[in-house]
Amino acid sequence: MTRKWYHIAKAEFFVLTAGMRKHRKAMAGLMFALAAIWAIYLAPLIINTFIQLIIPMETIRTLLMVMFPGLMRTVMLFLWALLLLFPLSFSLQEIKIGQWEIFLSNNVKTRDILTGTFVGKIPMYGLIVMVFAPLLISPFMLAFEVSLLGQAVVYTVIALMVLSTIWLSNFITAMVQARLGDSARGNDIAKALSVVIALIVIVPMYGLMFFMPQLSDILGMNAFLVMPFTWPADLVSWAAITFNGIGLTGSQILGFGAILQLDMLTSALLMAAFGLAFVPIAITAADRVFTISAGVRTETVTTVGRENIFIRGVRRVAKGPFGALTVVSLKDYGRKAQNLSKIFYGVVLAIILPILMQQMSIMDGDVFEVETLLPMITIMIGVVGVFPFAGTGFLESKDQLWIIRSAPKGASRFMRARIATGFMMAVPLSLAPTLAMTFMFGLTPLTAIQIFITSFVVVCGAVMVAMGVTAQNPNYEDTKSSAHQTVLMTSMMLTQFTLIGPLFATIFLDIGLGFNLFGFMESIFGISGFYVVEMLLGPTALLLVGGLMLYLGTRSLGKVEV
Amino acid sequence: MARNGITIRTERLNKSFDTVRAVRNLDLEVMSGSRFGFLGPNGAGKTTTVRILSGLLKQTSGYAEVCGIDVSKDRDDIKAITGLLPETPGLYSKLSAVEFLEFIGALNGRNGDGLHRRIDSLLGILGLEGRQDDLLESYSSGMKQKVLVASTLLHEPKVVFLDEPTSRLDPSASAIVKDLILILAEETDTTFFICTHMTNFAEDVCDVIGILNEGEVITRGAPQDIIEAAGARNLEEAYLNIVGGKVDREVLLAWR
Amino acid sequence: MSNNGISIQTLGLNKTFGAIQAVRNLDLEVASGGRFGFLGPNGAGKTTTVRMLSGLMKPTSGTATVLGMDIVQKAGEIKSMTGLLPETPGLYSKLSAIEFLEFIGALNNLEGESLRRRIDSLLTMLGLESRQDDLLDTYSSGMKQKVLVASTILHEPRLVFLDEPTSRLDPSAGALVKDLIHVLAEETETTFFICTHQTSFAEDACDIVGIINDGVLVTVGSPEEIVASTKTKDLEDAYLKIVGGQIDRSKLLAWR
Repeated sequence: MTRKWYHIAKAEFFVLTAGMRKHRKAMAGLMFALAAIWAIYLAPLIINTFIQLIIPMETIRTLLMVMFPGLMRTVMLFLWALLLLFPLSFSLQEIKIGQWEIFLSNNVKTRDILTGTFVGKIPMYGLIVMVFAPLLISPFMLAFEVSLLGQAVVYTVIALMVLSTIWLSNFITAMVQARLGDSARGNDIAKALSVVIALIVIVPMYGLMFFMPQLSDILGMNAFLVMPFTWPADLVSWAAITFNGIGLTGSQILGFGAILQLDMLTSALLMAAFGLAFVPIAITAADRVFTISAGVRTETVTTVGRENIFIRGVRRVAKGPFGALTVVSLKDYGRKAQNLSKIFYGVVLAIILPILMQQMSIMDGDVFEVETLLPMITIMIGVVGVFPFAGTGFLESKDQLWIIRSAPKGASRFMRARIATGFMMAVPLSLAPTLAMTFMFGLTPLTAIQIFITSFVVVCGAVMVAMGVTAQNPNYEDTKSSAHQTVLMTSMMLTQFTLIGPLFATIFLDIGLGFNLFGFMESIFGISGFYVVEMLLGPTALLLVGGLMLYLGTRSLGKVEV
Repeated sequence: MARNGITIRTERLNKSFDTVRAVRNLDLEVMSGSRFGFLGPNGAGKTTTVRILSGLLKQTSGYAEVCGIDVSKDRDDIKAITGLLPETPGLYSKLSAVEFLEFIGALNGRNGDGLHRRIDSLLGILGLEGRQDDLLESYSSGMKQKVLVASTLLHEPKVVFLDEPTSRLDPSASAIVKDLILILAEETDTTFFICTHMTNFAEDVCDVIGILNEGEVITRGAPQDIIEAAGARNLEEAYLNIVGGKVDREVLLAWR
Repeated sequence: MSNNGISIQTLGLNKTFGAIQAVRNLDLEVASGGRFGFLGPNGAGKTTTVRMLSGLMKPTSGTATVLGMDIVQKAGEIKSMTGLLPETPGLYSKLSAIEFLEFIGALNNLEGESLRRRIDSLLTMLGLESRQDDLLDTYSSGMKQKVLVASTILHEPRLVFLDEPTSRLDPSAGALVKDLIHVLAEETETTFFICTHQTSFAEDACDIVGIINDGVLVTVGSPEEIVASTKTKDLEDAYLKIVGGQIDRSKLLAWR
């Protein structure tokens, strides 16, 4: 009876290793052995060589030492957010309550489910941490020449922090799943949530990329002493300092105390208390949360009202089957919370980028010009256009293919309607960032219109690429299928490279063949004409690629299976 | 269009997926206006045959025609005259029944008042008129199946392929589907090609039964003839006699 | 534990979800070793009843005992002594059939050689031995159903709840499950509580049939009694007469 959690963990482990189930134990052992060698030996070696290659350790040691406590907090924040939110985001994409029904009917206690899925997750996340943590930690370990014992302490602290974070995330995931439940509506909301949660992770990532040092400064402030990720971070700092091999003496160590503010013991206690507190909380709360909701399947019935002005307008403009298809497409798209949250996500990303850029140039003391940002913004907007329309934004799953394939010329009819929907959605998508930028930077109407048109063209191109690529590979069951990930990645990459491609091509021409295309164009169009041409280059290429993808997609969607 | 009253004809039809031969030298004839029941074990090749005949899948070798049209040539024509209900049909959960049917109708090139009238009366027959504007996500599996059956009939096809049409329906709903099939077949010359595991459903609805086993049709005939030839009481017994599947009592308990 | 030969007894059982009353004043008695068939339209309250009786869900009001134990106070004991095959079960699709059954066995404190032997013979009996090491996500829906049936009876529960056990099975497999139910009920006094849409299956497999409509149990009796009292020829007709569902032909053709 007491070992039910063990069997669940074992099943989770089997699921995790299903890809190599012939040699499960050997392969898992091998992977962990390799990871250990990597963490203990290879990573420090590589990092050391790398650092020595650029700047000798002696030169940057001081810099690393000064940066250390603040940066440690940043890294831990990042790790914490990643571990807490990505599993949550991932499991929210597909809620499977049916599995719980089997568990519960076999008299499995909820705490066993919780413990079992937790233990089952450890190997995978453990491996991930073992691979990435050394890359971040090694430079400091090298700078402080931390002894082996000290390194052991550091990695133990990280391991404990990872465990407690996974436990917390596991608990939250289970709770959210139980609340949203086994309904089409709950599933949709969950998917939407998962995107928003991913956003919460992405934003600090941007921050990290652009203001690593500044952010460390900010995080060095007192307010962060109450954040759970600060404690393990400080503990790691303390461990590194205490076990240093560079002869830091008592007073120097105490100097760090002024920066860290909490002493080693307090940090350790806080961290342990936080980790341990959630064990009983999760276990007691679990039974209450689950047994009530498991299996409740009533759903709110939504009745469709009268068509709104916009839909009726579309109906009036577009007659015949095409109009009807477009209208239905629009309704279907707009009612899915996940689509809307993806659009929201895209718009936020598109707005954040110019703000970050502005901050950067202000910090560097440069004059900020929106025009110089345009190529960057177009690329950002490209992402915005791909994300909501690739994969499930185009077709829920392969189970729907029969609808399209069993109708005569169904593929091209369906594609046309979907593209029309996408183009209509492109208007708000490109309008939102334009408006945001116009207000923030006080743009002239002419520049605003210029930005809007460029954005709109890029979004339309991205929509075409996304839908075309999806139509060529629609054999996914849900958003977790590898086919779906491939579709998303392919359309993303294709859009990005198409937008950047022309720039690279000209640079390559210049450097490789000594032909200065930009200079050549400048001499033809004049300097202002050149800017226009340069700006149009990427979007035009994108439209061409999008058209090609659409053509290929429609053909492959309508093609008979072999 | 139908030549000699034959709607579906296959000659030595073959389909292999990699190493698996799903359909093996299938010779089949279905008369127009008939209700053909296709029985066989899980994985015998029923679904594959339907997918070939409705123009979704290309055969490896052999010939098949529907209403005199070669299935490997004019697939759009085939699709225009056939309706298909697959075994695991996905639908749009965020559309209402009316909107979903409008969508299917539009995909088949129909729209306007004619389409809406047809949708209304189909939903009326299936007993969904009160809930027609509710989103499909709140429908039970049986109600969804009703909407799907309606969707295959929207464009008045000559041949309708149904893959397990009643496996998720309650007896009343299956009775409606059954009556709908019987009446349509009788009065409109619509041919029904039905894959099913429910022998009593097949017995009630179909006038011709084909039993498929390991890719070949091993028995074909009217339900009554098959039952008599097998010396059985009903089609289920006849099926078990032909395909096999009786297990001894001792075996059933031996695992314990 | 004494239950005087009665496995399930409910008194005025009610379950409401918000404004919807899923089960209304249910009074029911099922003898041990009985095979109770639960019929009714989609959404009539069958699944809700099963969930309450198997200890997964608390009733809004009323009492019920299963194997002599109260379903609210002794939910844990009930769960360990009963087996449940849910309507839309979640399988671990990345486990093989053997791994999945070992997992279910382990959850029920079965381990080692005897469990292995039991799994092997169950899979052989169901005709899955050649595929037993393949991942479940490569199985057809009928094969998955077979694995689930095996997982439900693996730990020899004294009471088995089956929600639509044969909807995806071919006739041979359906007959096998039917025989299995008969043999287990007779030889081991296992009680079966079966929700189904297939009236012919209920007629063959069950000794008592209850028909539920809108949360109210409208008829209980042996299939013969129900058929006789409604003056119909079989259970399907009896069901249609009780629940309704017959439609006149002119209405069926009005849509065209």
